[in-house]
Amino acid sequence: EDTADDENYEFSKGDFTEHACRYCGVSNPACVVRCNIPSCRKWFCNSRGNTSGSHIVNHLVRAKHKEVCLHKDSTLGETILECYNCGCRNVFLLGFISAKTESVVVLLCREPCLNVNALKDMNWDLSQWCPLIDDRCFLQWLVKVPSEQEQLRARQISAQQINKIEELWKTNPDASLEDLEKPGVDDEPQPVAIKYEDAYQYQNVFAPLIKLEADYDKVMKESQSKDNLTIRWDIGLNKKRIAYFIFPKEDNELRLVPGDELRLRYSGDAAHPAWQSVGHVIKLTAQEEVALELRVSQGAPVDINHGFSVDFVWKSTSFDRMQGAMKTFAVDETSVSGYIYHHLLGHEVEVQMVRNTLPRRFGAPGLPELNASQVFAVKSVLQKPISLIQGPPGTGKTVTSAAIVYHMAKQGQGQVLVCAPSNVAVDQLAEKISATGLKVVRICAKSREAVSSPVEHLTLHYQVRHLDTSEKSELHKLQQLKDEQGELSSSDEKKYKALKRATEREITQSADVICCTCVGAGDPRLANFRFRQVLIDESTQSTEPECLIPLVLGAKQIVLVGDHCQLGPVIMCKKAARAGLAQSLFERLVLLGVKPIRLQVQYRMHPSLSEFPSNSFYEGTLQNGVTINERQSMGIDFPWPVPNRPMFFYVQMGQEEISASGTSYLNRTEASNVEKIVTTFLRGGVVPGQIGVITPYEGQRAYIVNYMSRNGALRQQLYKEIEVASVDSFQGREKDYIILSCVRSNEHQGIGFLNDPRRLNVALTRARYGIVILGNPKVLSKQPLWNGLLTHYKEHECLVEGPLNNLKQSMVQFQKPKKMYN
Amino acid sequence: DEVRVRQKVPEVDPFEEASFAEELRAVMKESMEQRKQEILGRPALNMVIPMNMFEGSGKDHGRGAMAGESGDRAQDEEDGLSKEVPVRVLVKRGNKQQTRQMFIPSDCSLVQSTKQKEAAELEE
Ligand SMILES: [Zn+2]
Ligand SMILES: [Zn+2]
Ligand SMILES: [Zn+2]
Repeated sequence: EDTADDENYEFSKGDFTEHACRYCGVSNPACVVRCNIPSCRKWFCNSRGNTSGSHIVNHLVRAKHKEVCLHKDSTLGETILECYNCGCRNVFLLGFISAKTESVVVLLCREPCLNVNALKDMNWDLSQWCPLIDDRCFLQWLVKVPSEQEQLRARQISAQQINKIEELWKTNPDASLEDLEKPGVDDEPQPVAIKYEDAYQYQNVFAPLIKLEADYDKVMKESQSKDNLTIRWDIGLNKKRIAYFIFPKEDNELRLVPGDELRLRYSGDAAHPAWQSVGHVIKLTAQEEVALELRVSQGAPVDINHGFSVDFVWKSTSFDRMQGAMKTFAVDETSVSGYIYHHLLGHEVEVQMVRNTLPRRFGAPGLPELNASQVFAVKSVLQKPISLIQGPPGTGKTVTSAAIVYHMAKQGQGQVLVCAPSNVAVDQLAEKISATGLKVVRICAKSREAVSSPVEHLTLHYQVRHLDTSEKSELHKLQQLKDEQGELSSSDEKKYKALKRATEREITQSADVICCTCVGAGDPRLANFRFRQVLIDESTQSTEPECLIPLVLGAKQIVLVGDHCQLGPVIMCKKAARAGLAQSLFERLVLLGVKPIRLQVQYRMHPSLSEFPSNSFYEGTLQNGVTINERQSMGIDFPWPVPNRPMFFYVQMGQEEISASGTSYLNRTEASNVEKIVTTFLRGGVVPGQIGVITPYEGQRAYIVNYMSRNGALRQQLYKEIEVASVDSFQGREKDYIILSCVRSNEHQGIGFLNDPRRLNVALTRARYGIVILGNPKVLSKQPLWNGLLTHYKEHECLVEGPLNNLKQSMVQFQKPKKMYN
Repeated sequence: DEVRVRQKVPEVDPFEEASFAEELRAVMKESMEQRKQEILGRPALNMVIPMNMFEGSGKDHGRGAMAGESGDRAQDEEDGLSKEVPVRVLVKRGNKQQTRQMFIPSDCSLVQSTKQKEAAELEE
């Protein structure tokens, strides 16, 4: 399988060079020497860093080692430094003398050779013995001192750390500096910082957090086995076997996504041997039915349907790529430009402008006209090596990003890399960029090639199959054969793979723009590509190490697009989240003083709906690009309490409950009222696709789906077509009408998830035409932001109670908000 | 890829500094004493330096300077920092001797002495 060899050639790239200084990582052969003690053989450089002696001298003194060897690529070649006369190798005793009349120098030891009488008669000048180690540093003409730039990019090791690591090496010669920082099993990990000394310290902080998250993810996913599944068998267009089955998810647990790998098992019976096969999820329905395309179709017991089991096959790929990117960032000087390197670490760097001729107009063909704040964003981004663009809901960040990519591609600095954490966002952006006429290649993970995509024609695997040239007929023939027979002879398979790889490379190289997920940028197929210009959309939803993957391919100019006032990346491991893994690079750069360029005109929400979010989350700067008229629900009959204000807060007093799994909440009264509102919308002329029901709790989400399909007043099918989702999964999307069920209703426990202002922002900004919020004001009003929202609704006479056909303004008393947190 | 980073002044911990200085002295002392022990009772050594090294100074028996080297030198001269002069470093490879050309700053005592002598000889 292709996936297997992917992993083999993946991480050699970021590996530490053998001859890198064990203290600071400098690996210039002219600057390093090897300690020649057989049990040591470590390399060190001749820079002083933060200490008074050079690294090699520090090591020799602290370890009491006294012999060294030069690097084979140094001017003298691989040479053990020794006395020319007696062979003494103690560097503390060696020095150079020169010939009296010629420019020849030679190493000689102080004791005894410098005092040998016979030498005095010869042509050597013994009066000017020049010690090899001078001022605690090797002679700089023999072992060069790394350049200032090299030293700046190196690990900034302190004298204390040198002492500690030398102590550690006495018992464990292979220990690394990372081992010094390793927390114990029960220790809290080191929290993230705003600034880092160097990329090694950065790696020391993030690597354990990624490890924690990976371990958590693995345990969680591998515990997801399900038994007694019923399978429906089918065959896909590519002749591969597909198994359909229901994979019920419990609260807060694993959400399958297309591309996930599952193992399907049958334990065997009298007529069937035990069987198992691995496959990829290619489709998921709202009814939780999974389509699994099997890797090997042969031998599947397709005559049976019951008694199957399924396990999750956990893959470390994405975590490995994050770790790999951090390593590359530290050891490979060409991974990012010096400016970006220092800036990302929070060092004080002199402002730099990018010298490029600006285009005359900032829009791009195939895209809508840009508004003033979008033009400003495009213009300033093109002139700066690092930019942040903040795109509040509905402000057209995809169009702005596409315009930026268009102009970057036209500058002729090579291919532009465009990424986002999610596949959905990458597809959207790829589509817009392609509309400008640029040549776009969308690279998908191999496991997702069978997953349908709205931009299939842009994907690399599609283009490989459909490249229409005569030279490719061989590949096509083999592909056809493979499709028909399921597999090829081993020689044909070899030929097929080689041809495919060459074709992939050819297509990828000819593109103007490469689009993939952040993790996808670590795909081995991109390993030899370099991208000076990188744009990352939705960057506030990815962790820093994830964001780093596309950057370390040679970035000189980076654009991070996102909105730190909306939800950040999802971190499952609480320990890692507490330590700050959920903070995105975008946010940290804001803390470091990079001012985001904010897009200011929203084109989504009815102006009444944007008012509160604008004032509460964006300092009132959000302007409306749509008018009340454009967002009027024409021909829709719905009992909005205030005409022209399509919003209300529907007061609910029903109790919350803990869901069956014990890990989530539900609220039956709210669920039944959600059904009533949905039914009223449908009766009033709204179609199911226009409605979205969102709630912060998985327990409530499942309950609402269930409740509507059982108790809905109208045809069942209508309710099935209504999307019911978590607030978090709705980020980046919109619906004409949104119903928000808040669930929490208790005297003392607080409101959990709803406490996060960013979640409230996302929930309030999904609707285009109208929003209904269901919740308990008595409970919610304790939180200052919710108190503000409730007051806003009350002032506009939109806080209501009673039956839907007879809504009355509510007189419910709010509680005093607790002090603002943060 | 020009980048200007405001440099921090490296902070040297006085305690570490003192402990390092002490260990360095100890290593030097130990080296000298060890050496004296080793050579006790050994026959006097003879410095066998090949005289042919001094004939025809242009000959280089090993690899010359690496390609990058000359560039660095030119840079230094332009900056007016320190001029470098070529010297040949004599090393042993097994039983064979080799020289390789390297560049030494002209203010290095090794070069200074040769120069002074050359100057003195010229005056004579
Ligand atoms: Zn050593
Ligand atoms: Zn070093
Ligand atoms: Zn000697």
